[in-house]
Amino acid sequence: MSAKKNHTPEELAEALVFPVALTPAQQKEAAKQLAAARKKTRQEITDNDKLALQLLQLKFQLEDYIENKEYDPEKHFGYFLKKYIEILQVKRKVFADDISIDETLLSQLINKHRTPPDHISIRLELHSNNIIPADYWFKLVEKQREHRIKTDRGLRKKERKFVHKLAVSL
Amino acid sequence: MEIIEVATGLRKTVIISKAEDEDFKVLTKSRYSFAWRSFKTQTKVYKLQIKGKDDILGVVGLIDFPDERRIEIKLLATSRENIGKNKAYDRIAGCLIGFACRIAVAQYGEDACVSLVPKTTLVKHYMTRYHMLNAGWQLYLEGKALNQILKEYIL
Repeated sequence: MSAKKNHTPEELAEALVFPVALTPAQQKEAAKQLAAARKKTRQEITDNDKLALQLLQLKFQLEDYIENKEYDPEKHFGYFLKKYIEILQVKRKVFADDISIDETLLSQLINKHRTPPDHISIRLELHSNNIIPADYWFKLVEKQREHRIKTDRGLRKKERKFVHKLAVSL
Repeated sequence: MEIIEVATGLRKTVIISKAEDEDFKVLTKSRYSFAWRSFKTQTKVYKLQIKGKDDILGVVGLIDFPDERRIEIKLLATSRENIGKNKAYDRIAGCLIGFACRIAVAQYGEDACVSLVPKTTLVKHYMTRYHMLNAGWQLYLEGKALNQILKEYIL
């Protein structure tokens, strides 16, 4: 028996979106109506809602990257930190003061010249009002380390002399 | 993302992922209200499952309109036993709508929009239940309303 016959409209709306087909004329009208309505919504959006959506975009992009198995050398801690500061539209000096670090350290983090200490991730979580959790920043650093440990030939060459016996020959 | 087991009130973590070819064998009209196979090419179909379980509790078909920075929910269904007053789990559709909002925001940031073409009789219920805004033929989520759905179902 169809769901439509057994349930109230409220129950159906809570559980289903029916695939409604519009005629070409209706589609045209619908597109026009939506564009007009969205224009009005955009005019009324507050700076706070705009900022929240921009930060959420960064959060979701970060989330997708750390969940993805692929490593992208461009997407390091500093890359996302730079994006975060750009969204906030503040000068680096001001941001560095906001999280009580030296501006030089901030530049080093952005330019991948220094590995971020754990407390920076915590400060970033607090600064974003918990929108971007500390473990996201931490996982970014870990992903970079994981890639290095997997691929660093130089390190393997250097360490080889310290291993005198193999557990098994394959 | 969490749904609620109605009988116990327990919250269960859910995973939403792309439906695989194999899934379309079980996505039958009798359990999931629509002939999902026929929407396979027209939409990107995603399935909702409780973490660690195989059973599919909900499905959504999405269409991306990059030029409009918009994702359309073409169709959505919770499994038959999750419709109505005797449903086993609550929040399934909300999580799927929230998921569409998440995709839209990840791609389009502050310009993100999620829309659907509703059946006329359901318009006011979508507006009440999912904060949707009315644009005549279509309902949509953008700005504050979109933020609200993300807060309720995703964050």
